[in-house]
Parts: sequence; C-alpha cells; structure tokens
Amino acid sequence: MFLRILKKDLTRKKTMNIILLIFVILSAMFASSSINNMISVYGGIDYFCDKAGMSDYVVISRNSDGMNPSDDIIKNAGSITEYRKEDTIYYASNNLLKNGETYCEFENAGIITCIDNVKLNYFNRDNEVITEVQEGHVYVGGLLADPDKTTIGDRITIKYDDVELEVVIDGYIKDALFGSPFLQNARILMNAADYDKLACEDDIQYSNGGAIYYIFTDDLKALKGDMSSLPNALFAKEKSVLRMTYMLDMLTAGLLLVVSICLILIAFTMLSFTIKFTLTEDFREIGVMKAVGLKNKQIRGLYMVKYLFISLIGAVIGYFASIPFGKLLLASVSDTMVLGNDDQVFIGIISSLAVVFIILAFCYSCTRSIKKLSPIDAVRNGETGERHHRRSSLRLSKSPFESNFFLALNDVVSKPRQYVSMVITFTVCILLIAMLANAANTLTSDNLIFLFGTTESDVYYNSTEKIMEIMGCGDENRVDEMIDEIEETLKENNMPGEAHIELMYLLPVEFGDTRMQVQMQQCKTTKTTDYVYNEGVAPLYENEIAFTPQIMEQLGASIGDKVIMEVNGERREFIITATFISFNQLGECGRVHQDLPLKSNELASAFGFQIDFDDHPDAEEIDNRIEKLKTIFDTTKIYNTAEFVDTSTSSSSTITMAKNMVIIIALIIAALITVLMERSFISNEVNEIALMKAIGFKNRSITAQHTLRFVVVVIISGILAGLLVLPFTKLVCDRIFGVMGAISGIVYDIHPLEIFLIYPLILMCGVIIAAYLTSLLTRTIHPDSMGNIE
Amino acid sequence: MSKVIEVKDLCKTYVVNKKQNNVLKNVNFSIEEGEMVAIMGPSGSGKSTLLYTVSGMDKMTSGEVTFNEKKLSKLNDDQMAEVRLDEMGFIFQQMYMMKNLSILDNIILPAVKSKKNTESRKDTEIRGRKMMKKLGIEDTADNDINEVSGGQLQRACICRSMINNPKVIFADEPTGALNRTSSDEVMNELVGLNNEGTTVMLVTHDVKVAAKCMRTIYIVDGNIQGEYDFGTRATSEDIRMRERSLSNWLMEMGW
Repeated sequence: MFLRILKKDLTRKKTMNIILLIFVILSAMFASSSINNMISVYGGIDYFCDKAGMSDYVVISRNSDGMNPSDDIIKNAGSITEYRKEDTIYYASNNLLKNGETYCEFENAGIITCIDNVKLNYFNRDNEVITEVQEGHVYVGGLLADPDKTTIGDRITIKYDDVELEVVIDGYIKDALFGSPFLQNARILMNAADYDKLACEDDIQYSNGGAIYYIFTDDLKALKGDMSSLPNALFAKEKSVLRMTYMLDMLTAGLLLVVSICLILIAFTMLSFTIKFTLTEDFREIGVMKAVGLKNKQIRGLYMVKYLFISLIGAVIGYFASIPFGKLLLASVSDTMVLGNDDQVFIGIISSLAVVFIILAFCYSCTRSIKKLSPIDAVRNGETGERHHRRSSLRLSKSPFESNFFLALNDVVSKPRQYVSMVITFTVCILLIAMLANAANTLTSDNLIFLFGTTESDVYYNSTEKIMEIMGCGDENRVDEMIDEIEETLKENNMPGEAHIELMYLLPVEFGDTRMQVQMQQCKTTKTTDYVYNEGVAPLYENEIAFTPQIMEQLGASIGDKVIMEVNGERREFIITATFISFNQLGECGRVHQDLPLKSNELASAFGFQIDFDDHPDAEEIDNRIEKLKTIFDTTKIYNTAEFVDTSTSSSSTITMAKNMVIIIALIIAALITVLMERSFISNEVNEIALMKAIGFKNRSITAQHTLRFVVVVIISGILAGLLVLPFTKLVCDRIFGVMGAISGIVYDIHPLEIFLIYPLILMCGVIIAAYLTSLLTRTIHPDSMGNIE
Repeated sequence: MSKVIEVKDLCKTYVVNKKQNNVLKNVNFSIEEGEMVAIMGPSGSGKSTLLYTVSGMDKMTSGEVTFNEKKLSKLNDDQMAEVRLDEMGFIFQQMYMMKNLSILDNIILPAVKSKKNTESRKDTEIRGRKMMKKLGIEDTADNDINEVSGGQLQRACICRSMINNPKVIFADEPTGALNRTSSDEVMNELVGLNNEGTTVMLVTHDVKVAAKCMRTIYIVDGNIQGEYDFGTRATSEDIRMRERSLSNWLMEMGW
C-alpha cells in the first residue's frame, strides 16, 4: 500500500515534486562541482608548480659582457642541492613587430627560451606538456598569452637591430614562472634552430643574454644568505613568493570558492524550505493518514522513502551536470594555470551522496512536525486555531499603498520565514557584486598611488626600452641624461615640467644572523620626506632607511634597529627610521635616502618616468597633454595617476572580470530561485488566486502582486546589502590587498550610484523578469477552480 | 421588473480523456431583478457549472448569457473581471478568504480594487464595519480568518460580496459547510439582502434553503427539468408550508 500511496503522491503533486527534484539536482550539481573546484583551487598553485617542476628558488639574471656572473656563485653555494639553468634572451616590446609596427605593448622585459633547453614543463591550453615547437613557429606565454594582445596564427618578426626572425604564433603556454600577470613578463618558446639564429649573434648575447636558474635546496634561509650578493640579478625569490604572484588568479579562484560556498548554502537553504513547504502542504493528507490509524513512524517512513527516491534521481542527474558546470566555473581561472585534481570522479560521487544524506537528514528533521499534526488538521485546513499572534500588523484599511503593492508587502510581512532564504540569497549576491566593484574601482583610482612607493605626479611614462638601456649601458649618468632629454622635450612642446624616476636596487641586507637580498627604492630628485610612512619618520640622512613591515618581520628588526647593507661592495650600517606599506615586490621592499650613492650595476628595475608640469594643469589638460606626449614619444604607455595604478596592479581587469562573472552567476541564481519560489507559491495559492479572480481581480493585478512580492524582497535585500557592503568590503578586500602587500591604509573608492543603485537594480531587473514570466502561470488558474478546491 | 440575467441555449461541454461530457445542454431561463432563485438538482447534475457559467467565472461552450444587458460571451477577461468586481458578488461553500488579511480587510478588498469606488479608504473601512455590524460580526473585524467560526466567516463572505453593491449575488451552496443554526443565520442575511432589492442566485441541496427563495430551478443531467415558482417572498409564517410544497414538487421531479 505504501508504494501505491507513494506512486500516487509522486504523480498527483507533480509540480512540487518536480520543484524539489530541481533543487536536489542543483544542490548535487553545486556541491559536486564546488567541492571539486575547492580542492583544485586550494591546492591549485602547488599542483601547478609540481606539474611544472618548479624549484625552491628562482634567480633571473642578465649577462654582463656576454657572461653570466651569477654562474660561479650558484655553482659554489653550499646550500644548493641541485640547480638547472635555462639560457634566455631578453626582448622589449619594440623587438616584436608585425608589418613593421610594434606588435603589442608591454611594460617589462620579455624572455625567449629554447624548447630544447627548457627546465620547466610548459603546458598548452589543454594542459598537455609542450615538447616540440616547429621551426618558424613559437608558443607565447605570460603577458602574451592574452587574446586581447596576441592572436594565434599571427606572423610576427623578432628584430634586434639587423637580425630579424619571422615566426608564427602557434599557441599559448601556461608558464608556472611568468603565468601570473603580477610579474608582467612575456615568454616566447621557440625551436632550437630559431633560437640559435638569435643566440649566436654576439651583440644580442652581449646586451640581451641572460639565464634563469631553478634552484633546489634543503635550507632556504642559508640559500637566501648565499644569494644575497648575486650580481646582475633581476629577480631572486623563493617559491612561496612565486606562489604569491598568483594571488590575482587565486583571487578569482577564491571568489569562485566564495561563490561555490554561497551556491551550496543557497541550494540547501532552498532545499530545506522546499521540504518544509511541501510538508506543510501535506497537512491534510497527514491528518487523514493519522485519522485512519497510521502511526507517526509509518507516515514519516513514507516521506523518507519519497525523498530518498527523489534525492537519488536528483543526485545522479546533478552529478553528471556538475562535470560541465565545474569546468565552466574553473575555465575563468585555468587560462594561465594547470588546475585540477586527480580524484574528481570519486569526490563528485561522494559529494552527490552527501547531498542525498543531507536531504534525508533535512527530511528526518522536518518530518518531526508530523508528530504535531493531528487528524483535526485534515478538517481545519492545517490551522489549529490556537495561534494568537498576528500574521501582519499591516491593515489595508489604514495603508496608503496601492492595493497590489499592499497585498505583496502584506504577504512578505505575514510569512517572513518563507522569504528569509530569498532575502539572504539576494543580499549575498548584491554583497558579492558590490565588494568586487569596490575592489575594482579602488584599483583604478588614484587612492592607491602611495602604495607604489611613488609620489603623485601628473603623468607616468613607462618605457621598457629606456629601462633596459639604463640597466644594460653601465653608464652612471645615463639616468640623468634621460631625465634631461625628457624635460627638454617637454619644454620644446610648451609643457615644461620636471621628470624623475624611481630606481630599484637589489641589495644584501643583514640583521643579526639573517641575511637577505632586499629591493630598495630610491629617487634622486625627490626627498624621502615626500613619501607616505605608516610608522616612524622618513629617513632624513644617508645612513637612514625604511622598510615595509614584511621585511621588518623577516629580518626580525624594529624601528631604531641598525642593519648592515652592502652598498657598492662596502658594508655600511643603516638605522631603520620608518615602515611603509607597498604593493612593490608583494610588500617586500625598502627605501633609501636620495643622497645615498648607488651604482647602476646593482640596478634591478625601475618604475616609469614621472612628470610634474610646472604650471599645475587640471585633470582635463593633463589628459590632453598625455595624448600629445603619446605622439611625441611614440608610445601608448603614458598614463595619468589612476591609469598608472590600474596598469601597475594589472588586477582591476581580473577583478572586473570576476565581478562580471559573479553578476552573471548571481543573476542566474536569483532568477532560478525566483522561478522556483514563485512556482511553489502559485502551487500553494491556487485557491487564493482563484478567489481573487472570482471576486474580480484582473490577471495583471495578480501577476503584479506576485511580481511585487519579489520586488519587496529585493528592496529589503538591497537595504541590507547597503548596510553591510562597507564592512563586508573591508573584511574581504583588506585581506586581498594585504596579500598584495598593502596590509593597511587602504581607502576604498566607493561609487555610491553603482554600489547602492545600479547593481541592486540589475539584480532586481533579473528577479522581476523571472517573477513576472513565472507569475503568468496564474493565468491558467480559472475562477471556477473555487468550486473544485477541496 | 427587468431581466437581470437571461440565459439562452447555454451549453457547456468538458472533454476528459478525449471523451466529451455535455454538462449543460441548451439551458434557457431568466432571472428578474430582485428575484431570489435557487438551483437544485442531484450531485453531478450541473448546478455549480450553471452558476459559474452564468456568472462568467467559467466559459460557455455555446449559447448566450446576458447579464445586466451585457452579453458575457463578448467580454474579454479584463472586462469580465470588472463585471465580477463591480456588478456581481460571490459566496462559496468553503468560505474562502485571503489568509494574510484580517476579516475587515478581506471584506473591503473588492471596494479598494474597484475603480468605480471613489470614496476614501477610511470611508470604505467605515462602510465595511457598518456592514459587519449589520450582520452581527463587527467584533471580528480585526481577527484573522482562522480565529472566527464558520458562520461568522460565511457572514463575512456575504459582507465581501455586498461591498460593491452588486446587481446579483451568486452563492454556491453557501450553507453547505455550516451547521443548522449558522445556516439559518446566513440564509436570513441573504433573504434580508434580497428583500432590500439584491438579486440572488444560489445553488443548494437543502430544501429549507430553497424554500426561502422565490423560485427554484431543478436541473438534471444538464437540462432544466422544471421550475417551482412561489411567486412571493418567504415569510416566517409560510416557511413551513413552502418547505412542504417544495419537497413534494421535488419528489415529483425525482429528487
């Protein structure tokens, strides 16, 4: 008999059962794909590094006089257990041409590697290791692996003075070293024959040759000490720092985790609601079953079997749906990384089974209310008559609202528990979008300029070629000459101003028994007092120095302590006078006094040239001059402050992309939930809808009332999100900026119109469309249904 | 008196599992303004279908219903809704009301919705309360619908049906779910409304209820088998006699 009751139940309450099944499918799909993604993302960088064969420490260095001076130090360092050397040739964006024009603009030096001499595994977009590159063809990675910058199939020319090599781009590579946009380097992987054509040219070797050392060690601290005095090193960092460079990818992945967790929570909240809802719907049947003598346990068993049946079907469908869905979600972060886990099928099945288990647990918990229902419920429409609290304090007679809106508002106020899950869902959706928008807006505002260890200027001019020239020429005066040339050009073009440049030196620093290489910033033409410090006072004398809190922590030093720094081969003592927050080197850097004499052979890098016009023009005039300067200097890499921040972090586009992804997912979730909830409401309110029609309500009044309920819910969610958005943004984004190096002092750039109006409105539009279209189903309910309702 | 409802050759057919079920077959009758007419017949004879089709809640298959000089077949859904809102009142056996509204709000809801109602919401409320007072349920105005008895609820439904001063009240077994005392109270209210000039068309199984009407239409298998016209309104003196004579007629009709 039980089976017959079950069969009848499944067919008679088709709508509610289908809704329940859909929620089970969604839960299983979200749970399975999200848990798999969580595992993939959580161990993502390690997985990628392992697959690529990344070492414990990486040194990128350039040749000096055609030789690499790092060779001897690395060969003889006792802390090294093994090292691999990858010969490279550096290039700037003006070395890559297409039809005689610069192929694409990028800031830092690019690296050419020969496929026969690779010491890492490089992967194609299908995550297969690239073992071969045809002659005349190349794979591009790092910054170049971006469809906005390059196109597969393009024929480009690599040109060094008189040497030209024409190649075709065959595909993109996933490069564990330069894969993150944070390093802003571009790699070209080419055939040995092609590589040799470039490498055999002495001029190229002399000024553009270099090497990447992949170093393995058992004693990282000792290794860092050994490597602290490497000459000509452009980059020398341990794996953990490299991992940090993937922070932006991890940010997207982390957001994916947040979205996944939200999806699971939303799915289970909705599932719990649906189960409770369907049980409330069944009060009459339960009452009748009790009246004819069925025991609580038997009735409960009936429901358990029903939900087991539905959840098993849903879990199977959900599991299979999770495979493409998980890939779709991961696609946004797997362009640059090899992500995945080897137990995908097993975890998917376990997750789906967990959903079944959770549903049964829900069901078991919810069916406790069966005990409370009595046979009298069968004749009293589920109302015991013992309720003394008011459903709602709103009264139509006293309300100023139009009747449709009043009815919608009254419905929400009368049964708030029915709408709580929706309010939570919509609030979380708006918060996620707003938080990402705040992060993206902050990263494209001039609020963050102080985090780059620079002063605020009118114009920022990035030139890889000039920086490579400074670093390669060995002429101490070349920087000053370049500054003079720029100032002269400005003067000639009727926009006189001063130029300066932040130079970065890799210098060995010692404190106690800790010895490490620190990137120190210096600008000859500004004063250390022009910069922002979060603690202490600016270095005022040559022997004073400031570090970021991260370096202070690694050294174990405090303000007032004295450190030893090797300057021009001489060990000198410096007093730490201040700490400052910086994005540079992920927060691991320092600043020396402008008068400290440093030599260009210790130069590791430099920022762009900064220009301050003498006449202090307004923002509009600055933008006009930027356009003129782009023509004068024949480059697109000239920016105002906000653009410079955006370019330097290169993360706003990632975060904007994540935000857009979250908007789409939020809209899908909101629409899905709206459709299912509205479908549940219609199914539950057939008699009320029929009554309204019978007493003269028009179809559009009823659809308006149903749609307005969701509008009320979105408005409540919007208000809640508005109240929570600032603390939520700080809570999440402070951590993100902290990982990037800026551990405090972030002033968020909040666009009120966008945050408090546009995004809630976007969500509201999605919800309104979904609610309205679903509410059209009320048209199928006829007023004569009044006579058919039991 | 003018005809407020005129039904001509009304047919209603349902198709269930590809089988045609003719519920109403060429039904013809009319109701004069101020009349109180009962529809009786065995279960499944088409009484409720007749009520719903005549009131425009259900669509007719063929024929014509003229309500207050409007041909219902010519009205679209919105026009029909307006007619139901402003010119018809409905009472159902199950005393349906909006769960989330108080009794008073349920009563005044049609008035608030009506475009013809120009009074303020405050005035509508006062009118609703007066109506409740008249029907003896003024104390339940702010109660929820599950906090009152069936009789009180059905009287609230009568108030709701009357709030827009309809031409006709349609009642589908209005006393079917009530005990005898409540049933008498509800019928007395309906008779009172009819005495004040409101036309009433009701479906009932109860001879005592039908005896309070001026005319009874007996329907079997979708056809009108006969009509019993008292010609006068019921009074407390002749009610017993009306019940007896109606019972006898019904027995003759095969009741």
